[in-house]
Amino acid sequence: MRAPTLLGRVDVVVGESPRMRAIFDVVHVMSRSDSSVIITGESGTGKEVIARLLHQLGPRRHQPFVPVSCALFSDTLIETELFGHERGAFTGAVKDKPGRFELAEGGTLFLDDIDDVPLSMQVKLLRALQNREVERVGSTRPIAVNVRIIAATKRDLKQLVAEGKLREDLFYRLNVLPIVVPPLRDRREDIPVLTRHFLECFARDRGFPVPELSPAVVEALARYRWPGNVRELENACERMIQTCTCGTVRVGCVAAGVLFGASRPGSGGAMISSGLPAGISLDERLMQVESNLIRWALRVAEGNKSRAAALLNIKRSTLGDRIARCGLSGDHRGGDPRSVSDACVE
Amino acid sequence: MISRESVEAVLDRVRPLLQADGGDIELVGVSGNSARVRLLGMCSSCPSAHMTLSMGVETALRDEIQDFEELQVV
Repeated sequence: MRAPTLLGRVDVVVGESPRMRAIFDVVHVMSRSDSSVIITGESGTGKEVIARLLHQLGPRRHQPFVPVSCALFSDTLIETELFGHERGAFTGAVKDKPGRFELAEGGTLFLDDIDDVPLSMQVKLLRALQNREVERVGSTRPIAVNVRIIAATKRDLKQLVAEGKLREDLFYRLNVLPIVVPPLRDRREDIPVLTRHFLECFARDRGFPVPELSPAVVEALARYRWPGNVRELENACERMIQTCTCGTVRVGCVAAGVLFGASRPGSGGAMISSGLPAGISLDERLMQVESNLIRWALRVAEGNKSRAAALLNIKRSTLGDRIARCGLSGDHRGGDPRSVSDACVE
Repeated sequence: MISRESVEAVLDRVRPLLQADGGDIELVGVSGNSARVRLLGMCSSCPSAHMTLSMGVETALRDEIQDFEELQVV
């Protein structure tokens, strides 16, 4: 799916998977409002792309889009970065400097890695969001600001609140319109369309013809786990454009990590289908599958062994024996209960 | 010292990937804990492919064979 071209600037391939289509629909609706948006997703899933899309589809598109990576600044710098400072506020403050809030006036302020904002600054941020005004460092004069806030994080915000790293009031202030961007491995049908898009972009930039992909390469890309998500795929495409010398991208032009890194057990990699290693131990493999499934059940049941046993259709006492046999112990409440796929690998 | 069979077993896993692209990999010899291979067919003359495949195959060999040292592409 391609976002409509507005002002000739938005031309973002979001993907064709049902999950990305749903996100795209919701982005259209959300772009019309002024409410805060919080985008959650792993590193490289395209949180900033979604944020820019929200901005450019909405009524603020003619105003600035100001991105701030909160992870970039130290605890003290983030304050002057966001709110600005007055001349003489501190040593080296030789002139007035507007903060990012002021720079985004009328437009959108994108706060990436919001979880990296220190607790002390979260109060000031919350005040700015609530009162729609900011005070520069070294000044008591409030400046009214009209900005839309889009925040993003790669971590689970509720978890951060539970850990005391994110103020609950800020969480509720931000969590008005949440968007969760799925990792690339959960929407593999988007890999071909994204690959084509990136290859075309890089080829156009360099004035190269767009190369073909051999079926083996298509398969390798489709099977790789993409821990770095769309960003990693983008880099892989840049490499292919840069290394391909014959007009067809073959396995030799794909990064070794993508081609062979996928060979580790459980990574769903390219080499798994290509045959088996010299020999395997059936007992060991079965034990691995068993312990993966038990871990999954315990996660889904939030550590409740009776419920986990029911999920696995075995007796509670049997589960206890098997946990001991597989050497599993400790707390299994964490993690994503949906990740049953991990339990079924191989 | 590593055996020729153990290296061949790893190459057999890599081979279908290369063959799907009209290429192949041939074990030239094993000496000590190192092996020498030759790329055949498509990609055999491409410098990018040499680097990618030697890195990838060497990593696979190291993962699978204890004490494996070096892979040379000749």
